[in-house]
Formats: sequence, structure tokens, C-alpha cells
Amino acid sequence: MINNMEEWLRLKILDEVPLLIAVFDRDRNITYANSRFSGKFGDWTNKKCYEAIKKASAPCSGCEVNNCFKDGLPRKFEETVAHRDYLMVHAIPVFDSQERVTHVITMSDDITDIRTEQMECAIFFERVPSYISVIRRDLTIIKANDNLRDTFGECVEKKCYQAYKKRNAPCEKCPAALSFSDGQEHTATHVGIAQDGAETHYIVTTSPLIKGYKDCQYVVEIMTDITRFKALEAEKLEAERLAAVGQTVAGLAHTVKNILMGIEGGMYIMSSGIENNRRDRIHKGWNMLQRNIEKVSSLVKDFLSFAKGRKPELKMVNPNDLVSEILELYTETARSIGVTLKRGDMSGGDEIPLDKEGIHTCLTNLVSNAIDACQMSTAGEPMVVISVREENGAIVFEVKDNGVGMDYDVKQKVFTTFFTTKGGKGTGLGLLTTSKIVQEHGGKIYLQSEQGKGSIFRVEIPKERLYAMMANS
Amino acid sequence: MNTEAKKVLIVDDEADVLEYLSSLLEDNGYRAITAMDGREGMEKVRVEKPDLICLDITMPEETGVRMLRNLHDDNAVSSIPVIIVSGVDPRFKDFIEHRKQVNPPAAYFEKPVNQQEFLSAVKKILS
Repeated sequence: MINNMEEWLRLKILDEVPLLIAVFDRDRNITYANSRFSGKFGDWTNKKCYEAIKKASAPCSGCEVNNCFKDGLPRKFEETVAHRDYLMVHAIPVFDSQERVTHVITMSDDITDIRTEQMECAIFFERVPSYISVIRRDLTIIKANDNLRDTFGECVEKKCYQAYKKRNAPCEKCPAALSFSDGQEHTATHVGIAQDGAETHYIVTTSPLIKGYKDCQYVVEIMTDITRFKALEAEKLEAERLAAVGQTVAGLAHTVKNILMGIEGGMYIMSSGIENNRRDRIHKGWNMLQRNIEKVSSLVKDFLSFAKGRKPELKMVNPNDLVSEILELYTETARSIGVTLKRGDMSGGDEIPLDKEGIHTCLTNLVSNAIDACQMSTAGEPMVVISVREENGAIVFEVKDNGVGMDYDVKQKVFTTFFTTKGGKGTGLGLLTTSKIVQEHGGKIYLQSEQGKGSIFRVEIPKERLYAMMANS
Repeated sequence: MNTEAKKVLIVDDEADVLEYLSSLLEDNGYRAITAMDGREGMEKVRVEKPDLICLDITMPEETGVRMLRNLHDDNAVSSIPVIIVSGVDPRFKDFIEHRKQVNPPAAYFEKPVNQQEFLSAVKKILS
């Protein structure tokens, strides 16, 4: 049995080892090669090393095997074959009794796959339009790509907070520290300072080099620069603001012209009544004047509340209480004109940061609109239901009515400046103000409506944004 | 009321404007009828066959532009002259005068109207 094993080792081991093995004499002749070697380079008998391996007619310059013959030292080097195969070569000298090197044995590992992957990684690392770094547990950057260096300057061997934030203490919410402690991926949005001093906004994802292990040594940080998007976002907001100002001024002019026409009409009817001594005309003209002056005052009031460009003043408020307040305020008024105001779902949860006055204005506008819509309808049992609930991390206020509803055209226009279906009664600013306040809270307003059946206005504000705004204010 | 008097239809969603213009026109010897939007306006046009229409543009149900198109498309009434009396941007005048789908208005007045100019335009168009 042992004999067999020794036999096998003697005859077979060199062919079974996953390496290309060859023996060279001083004249670079191949004197032995295993079957893996001949499998890769073909027949080697009576060939010089450069003929068999490189298919060349002359020795390579700086040949490491030759150097091994000269200095008698073993070495390890990388060899490229035919521009596409990579070998990691271990060269070992063989000595005779006079300590002269008679042969060199090379054992080569085919590392083409590893090299290819490494080169791909290197290309990704340098060419991907992101900042990439590898950091140690002590938050020292040990590797950084060109993109990162171009923006933040030389970073290797600096602490990440020094490189990105130009600061001497770690960030409060450091995603890398989280990854080091739990072995998981984390993402955060940060503002750094570039080497030219410019504010740089980025989203950073930190991945532990060995995922799932709490004591990992390295974390890879991949940062996407969103400074340009932030700037575009700001420009877009500014453009929208200017457009809104233009629209508002045009709309305001239109509304004022109509009111002026009413005032001139009132004056005409009243003065012609005085001239002809007609009390009915005097009375009618006076009423017209009164009505239009009231319109001016409510227009100015609404306009000021719309124009009040302020950040929401967030305080911890229970959304259920807000809805209860509105219910108390409107139940009687609604009842007096035959509309039932009902409390719907009241599962708004705990206190959250809200601008109480702003949300109060929104709900007031929505509820009074809903009551108006019920009044304009001929359907029986007019009803408005207000509810508040928490849904997918957002606080949701809903005002539902079974009033007149809206057709397609009206739905398209309800949130635009000075649009009103209430004739002289409305200023066309209520819903616009409402949607503006909701937007200032980082939320959205949705409308569902069917002509003749009623409407639902839904205000959705992500709670996360409210907390973020509260933290920033 | 003078049965020979020319009939003017005023279309506007503002009750005060209807009141004002109809008083003004009736005081000056015309017969005034009114409508609150484009839809009611077209109904009145077909029934009453007015000699002139004073038309507002911005109205919630059916706008003045829609009514102008309806007038243009209906041969029986397309020759009735229209005076636009509106609060919209003055640039609208150039816009509406060059539309293929509507007849160019006979006159254009921006609210609030100058009474004398308005009355003389009505007189001129109806003579």
C-alpha cells in the first residue's frame, strides 16, 4: 500500500499539482516539464524556455530565471504570456556539490482570472462616477480613487472627517461607524467641504469589507455627489417661485379688474339713481359697492396669507387634537345650513412636529370648501367627513364630501391661482394656500373627485421629513 | 320698452358686471339680456337672436373662448358681432384676433370699461 503510494507520488504528483512546473539548465533548455506545462505551452522537447513559453526566437531581457542562475536566490515574479495570460512564477535554484546553480525549477500559478478581476475592479474603482474609499476601524482612509482625490484633495492616511469635512472630530451620525459596529450596510446624506472650499452634497453608502461580521477591519465608502442636483433643485424652486409670482400678479390684476368693474358699476347705478331720484337704484348701487369693497378686503386677507412665505414653525402637536378643533369650529355652522360634519378615523397616533397654524389653515380651507360643495349639490343628506391616520410613515389628513364633485376641467385648475367656482364669493386662493402650506411641510395634496358624487382631498406628510425639518431648524 | 330697440346679450359670471352693463345699455336705449356662462350664453343666442354680444373670457363653466368657437361653428348665429369685455391680459387681444377657429371680435375692452368709449363702440357696431 505504502509502496503504491510512494510510486504514485514519484510518478504522478508533479503532474497532479495545480501548477505549471518546468526545469531549465544554464543554457535555458527545458529539461523537464509536467503535463500541465505541456498542456498550456505544447511540446517543449528540445526547446529553449523563450521558444516554448513566449514563442520568441531570442531570450527575454531581464530574464528572472537567468538572474536566478546568477545570484542563486529563489524569487517570485509575475510573467505575462501572449498579452493575455498572467502567471505567478516561483523560481528555485538547484545547486550541485560545488554550490553552483545547475538548474532552475519554476512553479507557475495561472492567475489570469484573478488578474482580470483585479483589473476590472481597478477600472471600476477609478472610472465609476463616484467617490470611493476604503477606511480602517480608526476611520483612517487607506485607499481613495482619483475622483475622491480630485474633489477632496489628497486623503490617504487622513481621517475621513478631516478629508471630507475639514474637521477634527467624527461626524455625529457616522454610517461607517455603524457598519463597523453591526457589520451591515448603511446610507446617509452628508454635506462635505471640497478642497476648493465648496459645499459638496453627497449620498454615502458604507459597506463592511466582510459583510455580516461585526469586527470587520475595513469599510468601503461609496459616495455619490449630488451637489449639481441640489443646485438644479434650488434653481427649479426659484424658477417655479418666479413663475408663481408672475402668475399671481397676472391673476391678481384680473381679479382686481373685475372688482373695479363692480365698483364702477355700483357707482354708475347709484349716481344714476340719485340723478333720477330712484331709490331702488340707489339701494342696488350701494349694495354693489358694499359687496365689491368686501371682496377687496377678503382678497387682501387671503392674498397676505398666501404670500406669507415662511418656514413652518414646527412644534409637537397631536394631529387628532387638530382635527377635533376643526370639528368643533365647524359643526354648528355646517348644521345650520343642513350639512352634517362627521368625525372619521382618528388614528393620527402620537404627537408629531407640525406647524399648528398652517395645518389649521389647510383643514379650515378644505372643510369650508367641502361644505360649499355640499351646498352646491342637490343630493340628499349632505355630509363632510374629516379623518386623520398614520399610513406608511406619513400622517394623512382626509376631508371627504358628497357634494357637487368636479369635472376634468375643474380638477385641472383647482390648485391654480385665482381659480374659483364660487363666482364672486371665492378669491381663488384657498386651495393654492393649502397646497403651499402642505408643500412647505414636505408633503403632498391629492384630489379624487367625481362630478355629482363628491370629492376627497388627502394631505400626506411623511413624518421623517417633519423630524428632519425640526432637526434642521 | 322700445320693441325696436337693438338687443344686446351680456355674458359674464359676475352678477355685478351683468347688473352694471345691462343698466348702462338700457339707460342708453338698448335691450339687455344676460347669461352667466358660455353654455347659457349659447342657449340665449339661439333663442333670442341678439344683435350684439358682450362677452367675458374667464368663466368657470364654459369660457368665452369656447363660446366664440361655438358661435363661429354655428352658421345661423356666426354673423352676430361680439365685443369682448374681459379682465384678462391685454395680450389676449392679439391672440384672439388671429385665431382661425373664431371670428375676430368687433371690439375689445379691458375691465373696468370706459363708459363713453364702450357706448360709442356699441353704437358704431349696431348702426
